[in-house]
Amino acid sequence: MKIIAWLAGIGTLLMSALYMVVSLNRWEWNRALFFGLILLIAEVALATGLVLRRLSRMEYRNRVDPAIAQILRETRPPSPDRFAWLREQSRDLNVFITFLIGGGVILSGIAWLVDRVASKTSASPAGEQKLVRQLEAISYPSGGLIVDDVTVLAQEVPGANDEQIRRLLRRAGSL
Amino acid sequence: MRKLKPVRILLGLVGLGVGIVAVLALREATLSTHQEVVGTGTELIVSAKTKGGEKSQRLPEMVEAQLLTCRLEVSSDFDGPIERLDSKRFRAVLDSALDDTNRRQFRGCVDDFIIDHLQVNVVELNVIP
Repeated sequence: MKIIAWLAGIGTLLMSALYMVVSLNRWEWNRALFFGLILLIAEVALATGLVLRRLSRMEYRNRVDPAIAQILRETRPPSPDRFAWLREQSRDLNVFITFLIGGGVILSGIAWLVDRVASKTSASPAGEQKLVRQLEAISYPSGGLIVDDVTVLAQEVPGANDEQIRRLLRRAGSL
Repeated sequence: MRKLKPVRILLGLVGLGVGIVAVLALREATLSTHQEVVGTGTELIVSAKTKGGEKSQRLPEMVEAQLLTCRLEVSSDFDGPIERLDSKRFRAVLDSALDDTNRRQFRGCVDDFIIDHLQVNVVELNVIP
């Protein structure tokens, strides 16, 4: 049955290609288009059939012998049971839970201590004064950033020949 | 990379050559090349049949529609009406002598599927001296 289908597909492909060329040669454009369409359908069908055949072959090739698979499955080494200790301990005193609770209590105590020390050191008046001293270095000047008239007039002083300073002072003087 | 056998290379070259020749031959066959033809007109006799058409469509008017469509391709007019010779055959005369390319083009158009449910076959297409 498969052979008949393949032969029918190949025959359709060849005959449609032949008639398409003949129709083109006879200037019968509509017939040529029709046979071209048949040719395209046959080509797609054959290509699909070839791809499916190749896929089924690959599937057959990858199929394993069930007897061999059973042997391999039976001789497979046992997987290590990494939580066996937990199951064994569950009948006696549960060490895991004890450690968990004990560790939590210790961590909570440490956190409480850190919190107490931090509250004593960061919010004290001495700390605030120290912070004020450190911030003075980067604070704005007392008169602001706008240059006063005295400074503007000082640009004419001999020796003040920096072009950037002159430009800044000129702009400030125009305000 | 798989090494190609000489036989395969030879077959591939032969296939390529055949393909090129076929395309060139088809190009030559479908190329319009016109030349002067001595004659007063072209006589056309066709046989036609219809199947599965509308009831209001009559065979003579379907044939006339197809022939009028095809004469546009060769830029020629009919000299007189399309005569009905018998139940299937029709005769028409074109007012110019068609050269070889135009005759092939006209024959191909008349034989082609132009009008639905109508099949026309050229019986004779001759230049009138």
